[in-house]
Amino acid sequence: MKFPPMSARRFPLLKFLSLQAFVLAAFAGAWLCLSDGSSQALATAVTGRSQAIVVPVARELPLVVEPLYDDPELVGDEELALVLKRLRPIFPRREMKPNHIEHALRIWGVDATFADPAALSGAELRDFLCDHATFLMAYRDEPVEPLLMERPRGIAVRWDRKPGGSVHHDHWLASLTEAGVRIDQPVFGPSRRDSDIGDVLQEALRDFRVDEAEVEWSAMAFGLWLPPVRDWRDRDGRTVSFDLIAQRLMRGHKRFGVCVGTHRVYSLMLLVRLDDAHGILTPAIRADALAHLAKVRDLLIESQYDEGYWHGNWSQGAAAKNAATDDEDYRRVIATGHHLEWLAIAPPELHPPRESLRRAARWLIDETLSVPEETLRERYTFYSHVGNALALWRGTHPATFWREWTATHGEP
Amino acid sequence: MAATIEDPPVFEPPAVPRPELPDASSLQDRMPHWLRWPRSVAGATFVIGVIFLLTSHRPLWHTDVWGHLSYGRWIVEHGALPQTEPFMPLAEGVRFVDTAWLSQVLGYLGYRAFGPSALQFLYAAGVALAAGCLMWAVRRRTGSVIWGTVAVLAFLVVDWQQLVVARPQIGALACFTALFAIVVAKRPSRADWFVVPALFAVWANLHGSFPVGLGLLAACCAGRAFDVFRRTRRPGAMLHDRKARRLFVLLELAAVAALVNPYGLGLYVEVFAFSNSPNLASLLDWEPLTLRMHQGRIAAAMALALVFLYRMTPRRIAAAEVLLLVGLGAAALWASRFLAWWAPVAAYYATIHAAACWRHARSVAAARDADLSNDDELPDEAASSPRTGKWAVVTLGLAWICFGYSSFGLTVLHGDTLPLAMRVGARTPLAAVDYLLANRDDIPAGMVFNTYEWGDYLLWAGNGEIPVFVASHAHLLPTEIWQQYLAVSNRGAAWEEILARHGVDSVLIDRHRQAALAASLEEHEDWRLSYSDGVASLFVRREPIKTILIE
Repeated sequence: MKFPPMSARRFPLLKFLSLQAFVLAAFAGAWLCLSDGSSQALATAVTGRSQAIVVPVARELPLVVEPLYDDPELVGDEELALVLKRLRPIFPRREMKPNHIEHALRIWGVDATFADPAALSGAELRDFLCDHATFLMAYRDEPVEPLLMERPRGIAVRWDRKPGGSVHHDHWLASLTEAGVRIDQPVFGPSRRDSDIGDVLQEALRDFRVDEAEVEWSAMAFGLWLPPVRDWRDRDGRTVSFDLIAQRLMRGHKRFGVCVGTHRVYSLMLLVRLDDAHGILTPAIRADALAHLAKVRDLLIESQYDEGYWHGNWSQGAAAKNAATDDEDYRRVIATGHHLEWLAIAPPELHPPRESLRRAARWLIDETLSVPEETLRERYTFYSHVGNALALWRGTHPATFWREWTATHGEP
Repeated sequence: MAATIEDPPVFEPPAVPRPELPDASSLQDRMPHWLRWPRSVAGATFVIGVIFLLTSHRPLWHTDVWGHLSYGRWIVEHGALPQTEPFMPLAEGVRFVDTAWLSQVLGYLGYRAFGPSALQFLYAAGVALAAGCLMWAVRRRTGSVIWGTVAVLAFLVVDWQQLVVARPQIGALACFTALFAIVVAKRPSRADWFVVPALFAVWANLHGSFPVGLGLLAACCAGRAFDVFRRTRRPGAMLHDRKARRLFVLLELAAVAALVNPYGLGLYVEVFAFSNSPNLASLLDWEPLTLRMHQGRIAAAMALALVFLYRMTPRRIAAAEVLLLVGLGAAALWASRFLAWWAPVAAYYATIHAAACWRHARSVAAARDADLSNDDELPDEAASSPRTGKWAVVTLGLAWICFGYSSFGLTVLHGDTLPLAMRVGARTPLAAVDYLLANRDDIPAGMVFNTYEWGDYLLWAGNGEIPVFVASHAHLLPTEIWQQYLAVSNRGAAWEEILARHGVDSVLIDRHRQAALAASLEEHEDWRLSYSDGVASLFVRREPIKTILIE
């Protein structure tokens, strides 16, 4: 087919204008039909800022994963009371470390109260973390960067090893979440008074990257707030799901991760338990997670020392006992306390023999009760897991047990 | 008495017109007019055919093509486009807008039907089509296939490094040169109103480079408007110029036509977002063009030639050509991959200005020569090469010969079944991957750390089941992962920890290009060399992490 050359007629104005209308309509229609992902990418391109879609949170209080056992042979009431007594949140009021406060709040909860005025109540612990003014009071002699960082669309938490910083990413949020804080709990930044925990959660969702160094606490916080939501999009448009987070927690050699790799195991176990109730994992990933946890169990059986503790190299299995280690005692507390903690919420098929657990608990109790006060305060974060683990093995939580014990027995 | 005997009258039969014998020196051309082609077409066909023939026998490059085939296979098998990256475990969940889905599907279907020669055919056809369009554009301007050949050769020389890899960009380059040939035509055709949008509708589905075409139209439109303004000094004249308006409308139609793709406007978004990926900065293709690069030196030589020709040319210089050369040249300086688009434009303008200089020089010389003063019209190929059926036959014969002896032709027509090793580049890790696949029971099932360029072949040969660390779609990888890949690849201090953190149990690397890493692995007590040949080395972890984790 041969087309003649273009004619020399004038270009009709009406046709030209019609064409403009057609082009505009085509692009407007295409814009309306944009997928969510493309809309997000377009908004990012236009504004120059990463965009993240707000993830709906369907609850006012976070989920709670309850312990499954009450084993008085593992820890008796009196011993538990003695251990918890040593773990009351008694900190100097000046230059309190957010990391310590977070650990204390995590095990005692926001409703905890103590007869001893030296101990901080749950509300005081919470306020130190959620109110910049309270935080400032603790650091009035030596100013530090604010713990709470205001961002254009939310509020974030400074996590670094500088004074006054939360040490791990999203540990602040996970601790408050485990402590049972409400979604509308106010969070007062340096100049902003209208934020709440929900805003911090959304900022954490925006901040989160699957491949960042530490995902353990993000996994916990998201798991306890977001179900039945199973997946969402991050600021880069990547679809993040609990499956993906579970895979990330299982990725690589088990020696990696905070607290000699034990937090990864705890977070994974938590996701499996949440999956029981809320179906947040696919069957394939759930099966992988259970197989992973079973392997951890086997390694624990192989690597436990006769005294009952595990070393920091527990992930080497049987070889751990023969391997030379320069671990200090506190690493044994870390490994043993953290492992007992996740095992308290794990189904029995993932347990080492109960006798092994009792030996581990015995060692922990003796260690915690005998450690000098100064050391315990210095290593409070590690010992707090011991208190929590032992309470969980009695089918309760530290604050609940403490309240009931002191009501009937007085302070030990 | 004398007697006279008269001769009887001679009977002469009535005159019958005798049939004229054909002139044996000149056979009548019974070809229909539309099938009578000039000699120049045969010449052009010869040039393009040889290019097609030679490129069709080039081994397939060891990088992108296998990844595109893998995506094509995925799309055909699933009957849908992947919404997230389907192959790289470390990019799971990452949104994936497949800007080359049509190329991938065509490539895979071709491969499935005819084997690797189909890929060689598609590659060669793309290069030949691009060269053919350039030849067509130059011949139309200069009337000479010879100048067209010069342009094609210049294009191939400058663009060679961009043409080495068989990938969807080759198809896009053919679209670009076709559009360029249409845009620079002296006499536009009504068919352009249909051809240009159709071209963009195809281009947008073949490859994500269609904005370059929109840029081409925009530059030509702006250039034309500027020329009108410069001539008339009236801004209003720009709006009333038919050529400028035509280019503007074509630009609009092309932009709308590019929306005809599975992602609609999302494709535009993706193309612009893609260029912002920080991972691209460390890829050779996306590095700035410098004189340290071979292609950089060639491009510089071409740029110098252009400067000289623009200084000497008697032709009027249009603003559009300046915009295109400078714009695309600047883009190539920003990222060397843009050289692919600069090369045909530079070759075209260099050639038509060289032809103009040549003609000018010839006419000046002719004017000085009194004997030739009446012969100042230079011979035109069109005039000296009348249309005949003979050249049509020669043209078709040449085309058939070039096709028949191409890699694809030999396969289709002669059942040639060359082994894969003969059709792929020497750096393709065929044997190592064969070994990996054949010894799956002995090789740990964990993640494979691989040379970036080989990720695609691993995906293809392993049917997407080998958990590769990286593949050619590097922009889909989270930045942390890409940085970690580079750290290990360069044997950074934390290489061992990174491998352990990701549960890498096997390492398949280019033993020459990653010699330091290979040496470290050989010395490390946790690793052992499982396989090695002249191309690749495969190391496996003595105590695999994957089996430690999940049995």
